[in-house]
Amino acid sequence: MKFGKRLKQHVEETLPGWRDMYLNYKDLKKLVRLISSSLEYGKSEAEFVYLLNNEIDKFNVFFMEQEEDFIIRHKELQQRIKRVNESEPSSQEEYEEEMARIRKDIVDFHGEMVLLVNYSNINYTGMAKILKKYDKRTGGLLRLPFIQKVLEQPFFTTELVSKLVKECETIIDELFPTTVVAVEMKEAAITMVGEGIFKNTVAALMTMKEIRKGSSTQSHFSLPALSLPDTELIRSFQLNSPIPTI
Amino acid sequence: MSLTNGTTGHIVSSSSGLSTNLHISSEETCLKKAPFVNQSSGVLRATAFRDYMKENNTISWCTDSLSDFLDYPENIPIQSSNVQIMPSEDVSKPNDWQDWADQLITEDDGVTPNWNEILVDTAVADQTPKMEYHVGKSSGTSLSLQVNSLVPASPGEVCTPVTPSPSSCGSQSKPRMRWTPELHEAFVEAVNKLGGSERATPKGVLKLMKVEGLTIYHVKSHLQKYRTARYKPEPSAEGASEKKPTPTQDLSSLDLKTSSEITEALRLQVEVQKRLHEQLEIQKNLQMRIEEQGRYLQMIFEKQCKFGIDAFQPASSTQEKSETELTNEISSSPARVKTESGPIIVMSPSSEKQEEERDPSESQPSKRAKLNESSSTESS
Repeated sequence: MKFGKRLKQHVEETLPGWRDMYLNYKDLKKLVRLISSSLEYGKSEAEFVYLLNNEIDKFNVFFMEQEEDFIIRHKELQQRIKRVNESEPSSQEEYEEEMARIRKDIVDFHGEMVLLVNYSNINYTGMAKILKKYDKRTGGLLRLPFIQKVLEQPFFTTELVSKLVKECETIIDELFPTTVVAVEMKEAAITMVGEGIFKNTVAALMTMKEIRKGSSTQSHFSLPALSLPDTELIRSFQLNSPIPTI
Repeated sequence: MSLTNGTTGHIVSSSSGLSTNLHISSEETCLKKAPFVNQSSGVLRATAFRDYMKENNTISWCTDSLSDFLDYPENIPIQSSNVQIMPSEDVSKPNDWQDWADQLITEDDGVTPNWNEILVDTAVADQTPKMEYHVGKSSGTSLSLQVNSLVPASPGEVCTPVTPSPSSCGSQSKPRMRWTPELHEAFVEAVNKLGGSERATPKGVLKLMKVEGLTIYHVKSHLQKYRTARYKPEPSAEGASEKKPTPTQDLSSLDLKTSSEITEALRLQVEVQKRLHEQLEIQKNLQMRIEEQGRYLQMIFEKQCKFGIDAFQPASSTQEKSETELTNEISSSPARVKTESGPIIVMSPSSEKQEEERDPSESQPSKRAKLNESSSTESS
């Protein structure tokens, strides 16, 4: 139950408002086991599909809500930056303060959007896995056609959010001065990982890596293991964080 | 079907099964009938699952696993700018989602799933890029077994609401709207023309925007979000553990964070996030390619079977068709197809025929038969 464990862990670590929005993997898995011993094949499959559709609805609703919010916030951030730059700054210090706030906000915003893409991906992965299990246990052929449907769902079509992410990155590049950074600076930065969105994104990255570690059923159709050059650095974030990651 | 230039939106219908409406109260009465017949509220849907379990003698684990599955916390941090449909006894928010949900849940009592809809519904995918609804079939099949249909995310798509069928009742009057930046721009323009977010009314905005398929409910909820976003700008780490103070106050007691340290931390954060995003995109592409391959193999497999069957048939037209189709497929196949080295399995004509016809009531057993056959003959 490796994915199941990872998913559970991720859900526990994730943003509070998101926790109930993930796939009910554990229960679906139990259902699959139940169905495989059930005699009423047709009815069971219908019910299974019904539940999966419910899950999909759940994802779609949540995803589109978030997406809508992101669209609004994205625009607002841009407006905010414009306002600060165009208006007469009361003092240099206040300007700096406001810019610092904007920087933090935009970076967190960026992170939140990425976390939504991550949300989408994890749920898709879970769906694919549960369908595979279903086919395996019941001898059905549900997976292939069903997953095609899933691929078209709003929650999986994350292009818009990704676009917003990239636009955000452009803005961030403009806001952050490009300077050479001292080592001490970097170390100080690492200690700030245990907070807020940063913590979530680091956790998500590590979870992804864990999920993709070789499984017993690896095949041509499995995703290869995730190789991150800074795995050690990223892992050290979780260890060094002053606030324990649950 | 006219749209103001450059503004688009996508209206997606969702099936009646909004799982977020699972209200759980401990005193629910169990229904002693087929689980998903005559479900008229989210409550029953929850009991459906439970009942199904009970009927299969799994009472022992039923209670605690169900509490996992169906348990929603009472106090959900509902942020007004982030309207979520969370089942809670305390939900007295007269927001539109509740209305929408109720309407979507009214449905017929068809039990037989509409397999044509659920399974290969290539008609949907092949249509011109229009937003579509996936509505319950008027033949009375269960609405709850619809999967949301295609919604392309690219702007410039025409919104075309599909006339709802009788069985879906009033649910199609409030379909889910998928907003785009362009649509939002139009929205903001309209709002500004009307004197700002405080003064603008949903009706006025709707009129100004002139977007086909956009309803007042969409505008209303969007306006609400917009207002919140303006007057409570970016609570940093919204939804995260707790609200963080501004960076200049973001100190641990022991060391003072200078603003450049903070900036550096932020820079690092962006790098990590960028990395995560990058990996997610790669992963998604891989996943899509995997399915594409699977689809392609399946198609080839079926064509080969059909070709094999047709070899027995006198009908030359079908044979030609399958041959040309096969050739076409091979020539237009996605690059780098890794074919599994396995024997080609020729199915018995009867089961193959059933497969082709996609007869709802028969497809399951025949599919099963097919797989059983293949698993016995295939070596891998």
